[in-house]
Amino acid sequence: MNEALSSLPTAVSPLTFASSDAATINIALLVSALLFACGLVGFLSRRNMIIMFLCTELMFQAAALAMIAFGKVHGDLSGQVFVIFILTVAAAEAALALGLVVLLYRRRETLDSEAWSELREA
Amino acid sequence: MDFASPPFHTLAQATLGPEAIALLSASAISAAGLALLMQPSRKSSSNPSDKFRLDGLRIAGTVIALAGFAMLLVEVIKRATTDGEASTIPPVFPMIFGTIALAGAARMVTHPKPVFAALYFILVVIATAGMFLLLGAEFMAFALIIVYAGAILITYMFVLMLAQQSPVEGVGDAWYDRVPRESISAVFVGFVMLATLADAYFSGTTQKFLADRRVDGETRSVESAWDRLDAMPKLLLETARDAYATQWKAERAAAATSATAGIDAAAPTLASIVRKADGTALSRMDGGRSVEAKLADGNSVVVSIPDTMLPDNSRQVGVDLVSKFPAGLEIAGVVLLMALFGAVILARKQIELGEDERRGLAGMRRITVDGEAGGLR
Repeated sequence: MNEALSSLPTAVSPLTFASSDAATINIALLVSALLFACGLVGFLSRRNMIIMFLCTELMFQAAALAMIAFGKVHGDLSGQVFVIFILTVAAAEAALALGLVVLLYRRRETLDSEAWSELREA
Repeated sequence: MDFASPPFHTLAQATLGPEAIALLSASAISAAGLALLMQPSRKSSSNPSDKFRLDGLRIAGTVIALAGFAMLLVEVIKRATTDGEASTIPPVFPMIFGTIALAGAARMVTHPKPVFAALYFILVVIATAGMFLLLGAEFMAFALIIVYAGAILITYMFVLMLAQQSPVEGVGDAWYDRVPRESISAVFVGFVMLATLADAYFSGTTQKFLADRRVDGETRSVESAWDRLDAMPKLLLETARDAYATQWKAERAAAATSATAGIDAAAPTLASIVRKADGTALSRMDGGRSVEAKLADGNSVVVSIPDTMLPDNSRQVGVDLVSKFPAGLEIAGVVLLMALFGAVILARKQIELGEDERRGLAGMRRITVDGEAGGLR
């Protein structure tokens, strides 16, 4: 009976329907890398300040996905606990960043980040 | 645990073999597709007949990006090995969720309307939550949807609505939303990032390391789940009660050939769990754990708990959160509180006060002579 249970593929085992096969984890890692790259490209190329912050959220997502995938590899829940902390930091960042954006918008009446380009050096 | 020598080789040591070149070219193709997608659309929204005209550049970008992503997927699945053998069944659901997430991300980065970009981000969040489910992180999947799609994105939407200028008639969206800044260089930086990550993740050494870890990762996750159950006395008692009820029923059914009467009677309730000398309660058995428990009448029974009755993911994450990272939890609370204060102070409307108002606020006598505000009264 127990042998029959353990010979079932993980995907349909009653313990968990999650699959830890190598291909799933590899795809998760690939998607995480691509999401991070997309977020980076967006942060560098968009001019709208709100979208720039949205792109950092995309990078947070990518990091969270990588953490959970690696946590699955190691059979450890610390990765998932760290995603809770990522979520906290993302929420705090969103609150602060959006407050800042509202402040900047009031000063210049535009969301264009180039409007603040005189802040840079040289 | 051999963390001293990480398998992630640096780029300096990397040799550009055919494997690495396949990954690099697939990354380059998807980056090129994204670069094409980023070019500002030549359709003008002022002309309604233009609205449904297909944009050749955009279609080419989509096709090229999809081709690059498909090549990457093929490469990555090819490298996934189980016990030295490549996987045979293509994982359909991760591929679907991954494609949705990436399509949403690409559209979010390229869409000229900020509100649509935020909505596409919600799509990305939901697809990522699907990936989380597939990786066994049920609690995080739903927390992600609630916190991200439900709370953070609503805040973004709110600020977008607050700060977004309405599009000028005949011009369309704001200039700074339509025209990307240095899109080619940005895509190049993204490509370098992607190539580095892909090379680190999917090189032969890393894949071998991951395959080794995965073998005992499976058993370790079950082992540590039992340890967590052992550390939760109340849940352990409840689980043992449930397990004992089914066990008792099965025993009665087996012995019921002569006396069929008492099958439907409820099982006696377990009063307490007997702990062993070292403080643990669970002992190993085939396909699960067994625990010794006391009945209300003082007799003790051995209850076997099968693997299927392990605590669910959210309970386990909760136990790990408070037992392994209590300091992190406290700091997270402080961070949130500080963010709350910071946001209130940042977004507060700055009112320029004149000399006289400041005197008034400080409790001094105002010196205004004209007007009814303040005044020498």
